[in-house]
Amino acid sequence: MTAPSTVLQLDHITRHRAGRAAVANLSLTLDSGQVLGLLGVNGAGKSTTLAMIAGALTPDSGAIKLNGKDFLEHPELAQRGIGWLPERAPLWPELTVLEHLDAHGRLRGLGGAALAKARQRIVERLELGSLSRRLAGVLSQGQRQRLGLACALLHEPSLLVLDEPANALDPVQVAALRAVIREQAAAGTAVILSTHLLAEVTAACDRVAILHEGQLRYDGPITDDDHKMLEQTFFDIALRGGDGNDKARAA
Amino acid sequence: MRVLAVTRLELRRLIVRPLAWVLAALTLAQLAWRFTLLLGGFLAGQIKLAALPGGPGYTDLVGVPMLSSILTGGILPFGVVELALVIVPLLTMSSLAGERSNGTLPLWFAAGLPASRIVLGKYLALMLWLVLWLALALAMPLSLSHGVTLDWGKLAAASLGALLTLAALAAIGVASSAYASHASIAATIALTVGLVLAGMNIAVQKAGATSGVFNWLALSGHLEDMLRGLVSLSDVAWFLLVIVVALALATQRLAAEKERG
Repeated sequence: MTAPSTVLQLDHITRHRAGRAAVANLSLTLDSGQVLGLLGVNGAGKSTTLAMIAGALTPDSGAIKLNGKDFLEHPELAQRGIGWLPERAPLWPELTVLEHLDAHGRLRGLGGAALAKARQRIVERLELGSLSRRLAGVLSQGQRQRLGLACALLHEPSLLVLDEPANALDPVQVAALRAVIREQAAAGTAVILSTHLLAEVTAACDRVAILHEGQLRYDGPITDDDHKMLEQTFFDIALRGGDGNDKARAA
Repeated sequence: MRVLAVTRLELRRLIVRPLAWVLAALTLAQLAWRFTLLLGGFLAGQIKLAALPGGPGYTDLVGVPMLSSILTGGILPFGVVELALVIVPLLTMSSLAGERSNGTLPLWFAAGLPASRIVLGKYLALMLWLVLWLALALAMPLSLSHGVTLDWGKLAAASLGALLTLAALAAIGVASSAYASHASIAATIALTVGLVLAGMNIAVQKAGATSGVFNWLALSGHLEDMLRGLVSLSDVAWFLLVIVVALALATQRLAAEKERG
């Protein structure tokens, strides 16, 4: 097994929205094979952070490094290095599932035999075969999410960014999603997922970062047994604006 | 290469949507009607015209009027250019405004594509559709080329004028789509700008004002010479200027959107 390397490095990134700091002075790193859960109440700055990491939004200040290279100076790094599933999987309703995969593959620099192979692999893995000719506009919410995930994974990125991926999924679909996340992590992909569900973090992540009012209040490892500690820390931060690291240490 | 990926995706979306097919069917049917009327007029006056030395021929009475009625008057049924003023805004309205309301615009940014490539890729797809449409419209007068004497040079110049007009209107449509929040607003802006550009010199003349600047600004002023078979560098430059400015504005708006979020 190869030693984990730093895939993502956020260095004091700040982003203002509607006159206030949606994300303020945020720094963190993420190693290959690590699954980081970004936790926070609605409006904490999770989606803004993930959009910046995915390259869809530019920070006002700070630096983002992907595999050691400045991502803001070289936005093309996002092409092959990052897979992103936004909160509501954005799809073109008039295109079929296969057409989506082809389009995403080409935009990410795949073509010819490599694209066909990647498409076949992802269709089999996410069981999209029966939906392949169906238009995205008629897919159910769960199927849309699965297609969005397929598009994010198609080009085998080194960093997978998932924004509330379990939203609107049934328990079976959630279990399948967790299995995919674990598989990706085992293959060395760094995964960052945002959620406001504590159970999602303890089940799928090996590290948690809690954002509150755009600031990082807690960052530490987590195991299946840490649910109680995480719950205390989260509520202390969300309701009382406490220092999560103090609370966690006490717990 | 990735510009072509954008073009391919946009073209695919254009093809699978019914709007492009409905517009193509309606406009080509209308152009076929215009063609039969023009051809009927040409055949009826053929003997009289043959007696005139240097009189107008098939190209002047059928070929060029198929492209525009600027020289001949009598707008209805519309020529290619007059139809383009209406259909190009409808075709271009969703190119960027549709992506915005769909929520798919951030996907383009996240793929590491600069705004200029997104705009250019989409513009090329629209131009491919419009070139095909123009070719089908030209196929009507050209279908009789074996039986009539065609002035190929004049028809080529007029076709170039029509093509540049389509290109300018498409660029204006893409720019409108970049600035508008909804496709319908984009179509309205593009239609208004197109109509103002096309008819500003006529409106100013009718108002009794001198129209030097307006003549230069007006699309019809630059198209007219090409329809007469005269291609001048300044006219071509005017069209290219409109295209470049419109696409640059669209690019700038898109880049600002990524910055602003």
